[in-house]
Amino acid sequence: MLQLLKIEWLKIKKYPTFWWMLGIVALTYPGINYMFHHVYESVIGRKDMAGNVAKFLLGNPFAFPDAWHSVAYFSSFFVIVPALLIIMLVSNEYTYKTSRQNIIDGWSRNQFINAKIIDVTIISLIVTISYTIVAAIFGFYYSDTVRVTRWAEELQYIPLFFLQTFAYLSWAFLLAFLLRRAFIALGIFIFYSLIIENIIKGYFKFREWGIREYLPFEISNRLLPMPNFLGKLNEASNDAYKKSLIDVNWHVLYTLILTSAIWWLCYYLNKKRDL
Amino acid sequence: MASVLSLHNISKRYGSIQALNDVSFEVPEGSVFGILGPNGSGKTTMLSIILDILRPNTGNFSWFGVLGGSPDCRKMVGSLLETPNFYHYLSAVDNLNITQAISGRGTAVDIDAALEIVNLTQRKKSKFSTYSLGMKQRLAIAAAFLGNPKVLVLDEPTNGLDPVGIAEIRRLIKELAARGVTIIMASHLLDEVEKVCTHVAILKKGDLLTAGAVDEVLVNEDIVELSASDIDLLENVLKDYPLKTNLKKEENMLQLFFPVGTANLENINQFCFEKGVTLNMLLHKKKSLETKFLELTSATNN
Repeated sequence: MLQLLKIEWLKIKKYPTFWWMLGIVALTYPGINYMFHHVYESVIGRKDMAGNVAKFLLGNPFAFPDAWHSVAYFSSFFVIVPALLIIMLVSNEYTYKTSRQNIIDGWSRNQFINAKIIDVTIISLIVTISYTIVAAIFGFYYSDTVRVTRWAEELQYIPLFFLQTFAYLSWAFLLAFLLRRAFIALGIFIFYSLIIENIIKGYFKFREWGIREYLPFEISNRLLPMPNFLGKLNEASNDAYKKSLIDVNWHVLYTLILTSAIWWLCYYLNKKRDL
Repeated sequence: MASVLSLHNISKRYGSIQALNDVSFEVPEGSVFGILGPNGSGKTTMLSIILDILRPNTGNFSWFGVLGGSPDCRKMVGSLLETPNFYHYLSAVDNLNITQAISGRGTAVDIDAALEIVNLTQRKKSKFSTYSLGMKQRLAIAAAFLGNPKVLVLDEPTNGLDPVGIAEIRRLIKELAARGVTIIMASHLLDEVEKVCTHVAILKKGDLLTAGAVDEVLVNEDIVELSASDIDLLENVLKDYPLKTNLKKEENMLQLFFPVGTANLENINQFCFEKGVTLNMLLHKKKSLETKFLELTSATNN
């Protein structure tokens, strides 16, 4: 495994897109969170009752311990950036036929997929570390002396963020692996995850079909529920929020099952098909 | 001699196209094995199958006696398949580092040595994407030769090389063969195969026409060319010559055909002299690979 890691690192460390991704993540994560901090400020800045209630009930979502949750939710919007990198890394292997060369040089077919799992893990870890740093900075900056002592209360959002990223990047890998063309894979990834699934979700919600929870991306979306302050601030929405937090445990399980199935399919196809 | 590689009844189909049809042969250890065939005859398909890139529909193969080969078998085989496959954003050295890390063949010193052999030392830090076609091919050859593999699989190794490069590769192949490395080489350049190979297999549209030692495949009859000032008289005289299988008249010479190993130039000379014809040319001609190749590949056209 260590040998595979070393070889993948040889491939990644001099790949310009990798450093571009890091740079973009370093800019967008603080950026989007800062933006939504503004949204929060405008909510509590309202002079009406709702504003006061919000301030009283919610506290600052960017202070500890909520910062772990809020920052994870907003940062996850930009999963498209590491997904692009994974798609480029994989489709390059097919475009330049290095996927063949790796086998010719002495990898087994399974080792090729093992190496790609390592890639997806490395990239997910790097993105998770970026999120952790940004969340910590926001948390410490916006916490008062009481809140700051609660910094360790919701650390489970770090592994949840990792799992969600890993699940999304696994889909990105599968698409690039099946289609072998970067632009088609990326197009489908963006078009489906941002548009098609939301349309289907909206329709299922309209029909009140519970199955909307189990759509491919929605399964892992529910690992990081929408923070409360973006909701309607009424009792019903608060109850729904509480339920979504309880459901996270189930969605961890669903995500693990679905992601395992994706990789199992990759191993299976890679063994059978012509390279 | 032990077989390095054996193929048993390999067939491969792409949709309606039969790329390989029931191909079997053995590659003996230490041989330089040429695989000949026109474009689209299945050479690359066959090499891809033995390198585990393509799955055969039927049949199997063994490397060093291991059925279906294994990753460890492939690590002992230096291969150049079809096109040079490298990471376009990495330099020659970085690319060979990956080859080295995967195959376990060679060291950092060997990488420099391999680049020196193929004349890429000066450009070893340049990105692969900036290389010319010939340079890419040379890097692929360096990767195949890296760390002295036991066996080399080379698919059209001189593709894109200039005449000097071609001569260098040919010399390199001969050197390695002399050191006991088994070389399996696909080519449509007959001249290339003829100059370096000890064994040959000829493919056409997926069918294996023949395979074996070059001497056996190429020579299935002896040809004697001879001439005299009175060619008509010579022809008349030779009509009575025993043992011959055929007599052909070319422009200003005659060709006598004999079963393999039965042509005797001294006897022919004496026979003609006794009949009153003095020869001004007499030579034993080995059939060239090209003649044989064209003969074989066109014979099955019907």
